[in-house]
Amino acid sequence: MSYIQLKGLCKKYPNATKNSVTDFNLDIEEKEFIAFVGPSGCGKSTTLRMIAGFEEISGGELYIDGKKMNNVLPRDRGIAMVFQNYALYPHMTVEKNISYGLKNMKVPSDEIKRKTDWAIDILGLEEYRNRKPKNLSGGQRQRVALGRAIVKDSKVFLMDEPLSNLDAKLRVSMRNEISKLHRQLGSTTIYVTHDQVEAMTMADRIVIMKDGVVQQVGKPMELYDHPVNKFVAGFIGSPQMNFFDVTIEGNTVKFADGKQMPLSENIINQLGGKTSGLILGIRGEDIKLDAQNLEVYGEGKQSAVVENTEVMGNENNLYFTFGGAVAVARVSKYEISQVGDSIDFTFVPSKIHFFDKETEECLF
Amino acid sequence: MKTRNKVLKIILVAAMILLSLFFLFPVVWMIANSFKPDAEITADMNSVQAFIPPVPSENFFDNYVSVLTNTNFLLYMGNTLLYAALLIVLGIIVNGLAGYALAKIKFPFSDKWLLIIMMLMIIPSETIITINYLFIAKMGLLNTIFGYILPMIVNPFNIFLFRQVFVSLPDDVYEAAQLDHCGPVKYFFTMVLPMSKTVVATVSVFTFLNVWNDYLWPSLVFTSSDLLTAQIGLNAITANENTTMGQTLAAITLVTIPVIIIYSLFSKQIVEGVVSTGSKEG
Repeated sequence: MSYIQLKGLCKKYPNATKNSVTDFNLDIEEKEFIAFVGPSGCGKSTTLRMIAGFEEISGGELYIDGKKMNNVLPRDRGIAMVFQNYALYPHMTVEKNISYGLKNMKVPSDEIKRKTDWAIDILGLEEYRNRKPKNLSGGQRQRVALGRAIVKDSKVFLMDEPLSNLDAKLRVSMRNEISKLHRQLGSTTIYVTHDQVEAMTMADRIVIMKDGVVQQVGKPMELYDHPVNKFVAGFIGSPQMNFFDVTIEGNTVKFADGKQMPLSENIINQLGGKTSGLILGIRGEDIKLDAQNLEVYGEGKQSAVVENTEVMGNENNLYFTFGGAVAVARVSKYEISQVGDSIDFTFVPSKIHFFDKETEECLF
Repeated sequence: MKTRNKVLKIILVAAMILLSLFFLFPVVWMIANSFKPDAEITADMNSVQAFIPPVPSENFFDNYVSVLTNTNFLLYMGNTLLYAALLIVLGIIVNGLAGYALAKIKFPFSDKWLLIIMMLMIIPSETIITINYLFIAKMGLLNTIFGYILPMIVNPFNIFLFRQVFVSLPDDVYEAAQLDHCGPVKYFFTMVLPMSKTVVATVSVFTFLNVWNDYLWPSLVFTSSDLLTAQIGLNAITANENTTMGQTLAAITLVTIPVIIIYSLFSKQIVEGVVSTGSKEG
């Protein structure tokens, strides 16, 4: 049996016309790191808060370690939570913030000291031990919040966008620290974020949500390589996947601007005879400009004029209009193009996805 | 432009100094004459000497010593401090809990309750003093400390003040405290109040000033001279025909000192209290 089970979980706020979360089903294994990802208002934080016990469950069942938790108080669910805004006690020092829960749990004082010292040590907070939260930086505050969570030996960690208030550099290092901590403690972690990079880099499995409904659950690369619909395909990956409205004529894909690209019969056959109402999706790194790929996939060679470039250091993003849409190609840093340059490119056929325009479901 | 601003500033400061002097004249006169015997007070009445204290001598504090040793004035001041302390503690608990409920707890008609409490703020306390008196008398609490403080504990102004501050406290701190096994009552006393030190200080200051300056209610409730407050005691002392003018001024000065100390120490809290509610109590 899974460690955490969400069975048809629903949330409907009073006076709301529709559910904030609808029929959320998920089994989470012990020690697993799960990320809930999605745009603002998709219901990921609401789901986390239902697991924590801060939001009433409108429908469905929640089990933690085999026990039904629907009506159990938050403190009795055996969870620890890290909040987006840290939620530290402003009038207490770092040490008191971390040890407060243990004191309330009537843990013997020598045990409190041992655990607090351990958390302070593991999180590198020794020199800030006697400081109050207002005298700490964002990263240090978040570490205190983590410390407060880890000392209680909770088997489940809930993290609600814990890094969203930190700057980009700090976010990367904290990301690393949280992953390390998760491995060290072996706790089951549910991590809510709107940042797909955080989810991809940290999670064992990702749950993608939209409008309160789970879109796809899977390992990061499963979601990246095999998205079930256009939303997932567009949400995962940066820059996002390129989408083109297309029709099929024979063995040729016809784009909205009239341009054509031949495809192998094998790919066309997978469409099951559907020839219109299609969206072709391809990731930026699967649009190739180099001579070798142009030679291999030369049949589908296309041309465009570069309209914008983004130099990322390790790679370049080239923007151009093609097929009635603005497309982006992710090329190596050695493939230098300037705005106004004409480029030849081709799609890697095996990396092409097709979506039904009406249902937005992935056809393959 | 800069010179014009500077001139305006100088005029403004000069006007404020003049205004302050105007208001300070009676206070300076009172303090200066509280150290003089009656004959000297009368002699200096029409000269600038009336605003200058005498040169310190061995009789310099005679009026003060007389007030403090020959009357119960010290006891009255002690009583008032005790009542103020009790009302501060009870007021913070009762009004604070009410303010917290209005700010953070969802219950039926909570917004209407807030409206009623706000409406109560505009009712002058004098209009309900008869009802309070009858109520306390019926309960047999006249001439008791409890009878004096009971109607003064709940204060709509303080409830509103607390509510305004508590409403901005982050909810996630309460959620974090819940996970730290902190119950709602413990949360209120160990988290909410320490996180709202400013409003606690503001309410304490207002309560103290209220009790210290109150005359009407204690004069109705107390008949025993052992329980009188400083203001009532002051009246009793000054009404006594054996009390000299110098002693009267010394007693008034003694009553004024705590108020001056409180205003100078907590002027920030008093201003914040007035600003945060947009009104002044009393």
